[in-house]
Amino acid sequence: MKKETKDKVVFAAFLAPALFAFVMVVIIPFFMGLYYSMTDWTAVVGRQVNWVGLRNYQNMFNNVAFQYSFFRTFLFSFLSVISINLIALMFAFLVTREIRLRNLYRAGFFIPNLIGGLVLGYIWQFIFKEVVPAIGGRLGISLIENLLLLSDPNLTMFGLVMAFTWQYAGYIMMIYVAALLNVPQELLEASEIDGANFWQKFRNITVPMIAQAFTITSFLTLVNSFKQYDIIVALTAGGPTAIFRGQVVDSTELLAVHIYNVAFKYNRMAEGQARAIVFFLMLSVVSIGQVYFNKKKEIEM
Amino acid sequence: MKRSIIFIMILALVLGMAVGCTRPAEQDDTVVIYQNKVEIHEQLTAFAAAYEQATGKKVIVKTSGGDSPYAEALRAEFQSDRQPDIFVIEGMGGYNTWDSKLVPFENEEWMNHTTLQFEVDGKIYGFPVAVEAWGMAYNKDLLEQAGIDPATLTSQEAYRAAFEKIDSMKDQLGISSVVAMAAGPDMRWVTGLHNFNGYLSAGLPYGDTTILDMLNNGEYDRERLTEYVDWVELLFDFADRTVLLTGNYDSQVSQFATGRSVFIHQGNWIDPWLQSNNIDFPMGFAPHASVKGEHNAIFIGAPSFYVLNKDSKNLEAAREFLNFMAMNEIGHNYMVAEANMVPAFTNVTLLPEAPLSANVVEWLAKPDGAYTWLQNDMPDGFGMGTIAPIYEAFAKGDITKAQFIDQLAARISEIN
Repeated sequence: MKKETKDKVVFAAFLAPALFAFVMVVIIPFFMGLYYSMTDWTAVVGRQVNWVGLRNYQNMFNNVAFQYSFFRTFLFSFLSVISINLIALMFAFLVTREIRLRNLYRAGFFIPNLIGGLVLGYIWQFIFKEVVPAIGGRLGISLIENLLLLSDPNLTMFGLVMAFTWQYAGYIMMIYVAALLNVPQELLEASEIDGANFWQKFRNITVPMIAQAFTITSFLTLVNSFKQYDIIVALTAGGPTAIFRGQVVDSTELLAVHIYNVAFKYNRMAEGQARAIVFFLMLSVVSIGQVYFNKKKEIEM
Repeated sequence: MKRSIIFIMILALVLGMAVGCTRPAEQDDTVVIYQNKVEIHEQLTAFAAAYEQATGKKVIVKTSGGDSPYAEALRAEFQSDRQPDIFVIEGMGGYNTWDSKLVPFENEEWMNHTTLQFEVDGKIYGFPVAVEAWGMAYNKDLLEQAGIDPATLTSQEAYRAAFEKIDSMKDQLGISSVVAMAAGPDMRWVTGLHNFNGYLSAGLPYGDTTILDMLNNGEYDRERLTEYVDWVELLFDFADRTVLLTGNYDSQVSQFATGRSVFIHQGNWIDPWLQSNNIDFPMGFAPHASVKGEHNAIFIGAPSFYVLNKDSKNLEAAREFLNFMAMNEIGHNYMVAEANMVPAFTNVTLLPEAPLSANVVEWLAKPDGAYTWLQNDMPDGFGMGTIAPIYEAFAKGDITKAQFIDQLAARISEIN
């Protein structure tokens, strides 16, 4: 065998298992899903599957609950991307300074990430339902004592953002810490000698130097907030209700939860699949756009 | 040398995979029952073992928990090559999904001893797993203190009078509200399924599906709906706001269990919760006055049914197993004493120990003491997904009573 062909064979042999798995569990199901989204499939064996064209997609865009869920998902993602990155960056600055117990802080901030979303959701539910009123009662502030945080749509949204931030900020902090430690000290020292204050150093040196980390962190936070499911299910179960276009809708039924409910609670598998396809397209556009935008800001040393 | 080691390792791997793929020797006479009650898995397995000892026939019990995860797991079970012989459906919804897989029971002995079987077009498809019931569960001691006889609670007027009287004695009785009622996001089954079932079946003869059929055709009875909403309003008005809007199962049941409410809108399934918390004050069920008129029945039904898989190779053995459960004393002992269920069969003489379950048996024995369970025969997701949020909005005061009626009516008309 010639060396070139032998290389090719070896190359193919190494690629084959991964490629096979990828085709089997991603590519084929994706196209099957695309097909099912245009049928009245119910996932029951032995049921005739009929082609319905784009009807599932039409139903989706006419559905008030879906429209509301769509906007709310954007709102939730926007709020959590900002809150997680802001807090993670602050933590990262804190734990890269010369302070005592620095490693303890690092570990402490990171630990919430190790708690599963469901458990965490129930913990925060307990906090919002029991602890907050108890504190209000102790302080004698009846407004807080009688505050039903999880019955107000907007407060609940902030509650969700808070729980998600608490879970995720520590992880994002670790990425920022790694990036901050790589900022060349000589640049900072030189700028200090030139008389730059903290804010100037931050804007003109630190931020450009950690732009790569920004790409990663905003991608992770964006995608994960769009896909958020477990915390919502445990913390709010989709509620409380809100009124949208004259209809009662579930205020925290974000897209992932909504798709699950349509498919499994209402037993409309094909419609759920259609929504999942749209969800996928939307998420791809948003995340590719974000990475493209962030990449342009990165600089090479 | 090295090469041969690698060769042997690959051989072992391939062999391992091949062995892993072959199924264990076919045990054709083994019945597989795939059920959804996690809490009785051990008891049922023990019963299956006792059955094997008595008859020499093997039954394997498989369980997956909750209600909706079961439906999904069941689909997966059927997509795989391990189809169960007996599985569980919860009513018309399950029937509509699985009708292509079902085969009716014929000439079984147990049929003579129950009225709660699952029937479609005169064919009996489902074996009732147990009986459950809900009404207005009350705390006997507190009612006595308030000077109210539960037997008088038969109409909306009587309830209103009683609620107002109890409400005025709040401090004396040490309660925070008259009723423990929940309508929050965690409790949508209470409003959207159980409470709404009052609109579907209260005041009608057992088995009457007129209102349900109308609903499934997108029609509604406006007058009945208005009467029903009066009942909802009454319950919400005398409920604790925190429990009503954000309460979960634990907070609702514990309000009742700790004597902070006289009534609770729940069924006899709260017995295990009460027992495990050593709550033993006397209690019983009063009827729901869901619509105008006199009521003397609580909602009694079978929450789930064992059904037979048409493609099972062991249909005969599966039938025998279920018959044994209903007809043999070992089966009775399993249902009542071990699994703490209220049996659906009149030939069972054992009585449940828990107070609410025992009260269900009394109601079951009364002539016309039962209203039908129709909440599982609505379209999938309608009760908990579509209408339950409207209850929550009404409870919060986001919509008025008139809007509440309109919204319910509008959602019903959307059913095609």
